[in-house]
Amino acid sequence: MDFLSPVIAGFGVVFQPENLFYCLLGVTLGMLVGVLPGLGPAATIAVLLPITYNIEPTAAIIMLAGIFYGAQYGGTITSVLLRLPGEASSVVTAIDGHELARQGRAGSALGIAAIGSFIGGTVAVIGLTFVAPLVAGFALDFGPSEYTALALLGILLITTLGTGSPLKSILMATVGLLLATVGQDPLEGASRLTFGVDQLLDGIDFVIVAMGLFGVGEILYNLESLRRPAAPAAAVGSVYPSRAELGQSKGAITRGSVLGFLLGILPGGGATMSSMVAYAVEKRASKEPDRFGKGAIEGVAGPETANNAAATSSFIPLLTLGIPANATMAIMFGALLIQGIAPGPMLVEEKPDLFWGVVNSMYVGNLLLLAMSMPLIGVFVRILRVRAAILAPLTILVTMIGVYTVRMSVFDMFLMVGLGVLGYLMKKVGFEPGPLVLAFVLGGLLESSFRRSMRIFGGDLTGFLTQPITATLLGVIVLIVLAPPALRLSRRNRQKVKA
Amino acid sequence: MTSAEAPVPEPAQVPPAYARRLNVVAALVPLASGVVAAIMSVNLGIGTLPAPGPGMWPLIVSVAMVVAAAVLVLQSRPRGDEERFTKDVVVVAIAAASLVAYAFLFELVGFEVPTVALLVLWLKGLGRESWRLTAVVSIVATAALYLLFITALGVSLPHIIAL
Repeated sequence: MDFLSPVIAGFGVVFQPENLFYCLLGVTLGMLVGVLPGLGPAATIAVLLPITYNIEPTAAIIMLAGIFYGAQYGGTITSVLLRLPGEASSVVTAIDGHELARQGRAGSALGIAAIGSFIGGTVAVIGLTFVAPLVAGFALDFGPSEYTALALLGILLITTLGTGSPLKSILMATVGLLLATVGQDPLEGASRLTFGVDQLLDGIDFVIVAMGLFGVGEILYNLESLRRPAAPAAAVGSVYPSRAELGQSKGAITRGSVLGFLLGILPGGGATMSSMVAYAVEKRASKEPDRFGKGAIEGVAGPETANNAAATSSFIPLLTLGIPANATMAIMFGALLIQGIAPGPMLVEEKPDLFWGVVNSMYVGNLLLLAMSMPLIGVFVRILRVRAAILAPLTILVTMIGVYTVRMSVFDMFLMVGLGVLGYLMKKVGFEPGPLVLAFVLGGLLESSFRRSMRIFGGDLTGFLTQPITATLLGVIVLIVLAPPALRLSRRNRQKVKA
Repeated sequence: MTSAEAPVPEPAQVPPAYARRLNVVAALVPLASGVVAAIMSVNLGIGTLPAPGPGMWPLIVSVAMVVAAAVLVLQSRPRGDEERFTKDVVVVAIAAASLVAYAFLFELVGFEVPTVALLVLWLKGLGRESWRLTAVVSIVATAALYLLFITALGVSLPHIIAL
């Protein structure tokens, strides 16, 4: 039980008043972000990045993590009451959740979602506590070739498992990789693709890319619907579910916890995918699948549990491998780098206070969120009435001033607005910013490990295949690329045979 | 991780021909950029595989980008995630222009005046809020931003009001 002593010491870190304060601040912000229309968690964390410069690292990451998993709780409220998912991970909740609200059972849906989220989140933190050190220990021996394959796999998975069209996502990933090469060559110092602009010599700051594409891009995009009237919210009623409802949801919560935890670890997985899979699983597991879509409480319990479990477990690849699993984690990656912390296998050993402080803060955060989602739910429901027209200029100003404070540079403001317009246009034509930002973050790692591998292998590309772990990872990549077309082909052949 | 995507299927109203044109244009832009980036990469010097030059990695990436974009040009069928550009674009254009103007004025005249001006434009002009609300929110928000960044976080923003 040796490894448990830093875990327990981590609680000491959490219960420092400053860290508790930032945990509370983070989860409250997360709830708000989830409830308010407009910004998602990725955008909010991006917008707040410059402010975290001035906060102590552990507290900063505790706060940002709180925003992320807190938003999973808050997103449920708009899904159920307005049929307007605050977050992509609550889209499936809207199906049965809103139906329950129409039947006057909104409170039960929200209550079950909160309980499920709490259980899912807590189970995932416990899982994380045991799994993360194992993964980190395994990854300690990884060299450049393993990291090349791992970064490639991460980018590929987010493009194929993400919500958008895979081809569009791959194109976005290449754009991200290309943007990452702007600036001085890391090894030889030649200036690349800067078009002679001096401010670009150091490369494009990740903070600006994240704030521009996610923050400004989303704000501009939402301006289009600024003048549309808000939908009336359903009444909440009691949030304490009945014994029968709890009984109905027991299985869904159990399955959701395990499923969410496992899918969250996968690169490209995360909250959105796990909530969708959980919904499908519940529908299949149910004895009366016809109830789904007509107000089945399991259709709320399963996905809401799973998205919280996944939000938590998606910290594992980031904190142990340094590979972010999804766009929000890519921004967390940036937040860690800002603090001078390189996430990777060494983190658990070298910064146990930070690692276990952040992990253990999630127990407290989940408890706080449970309180906010049940006894205090009325407060957040009232916030639904705040108009987007008031929020938009306030957020944009925090973003504009925030980006200026990073380097005291007006050039960065222009660059961010430019990227914001790009982000807006991308959304209009169905390009997700997620793969771009993730690839941008991994671009540096991918290039440097590729070039170092090439030097080790003497320019021989087959060298990658001589490393067992690398070869396995590359095999997985090939499988992912080839599987969908192969399946489609075999299905077509079978149809031909039948005809 | 997108937000506020109402399940009400708006994109379905986009006519297929329009969506197709949109997809072609959206793929041609990265295609052209990829070609330019590839040429610039070659000029940087590719080196050899055992000793890659500064241009090799950007070249690999831009070739991948060109290939992906070219496939998208060929497969431009609507995917259901395209949206029509309506007259609401004007609002977005005004907003973006106001942000450029904001950045331009920021260091010249300090942050207070552009901040109030931006708030008034967005609240009254874009959001059609009442004058009273516009005035109150503009002044309170500017003061709050001053307190947050200059007083609490101690950032040296260009400002004209000294406290």
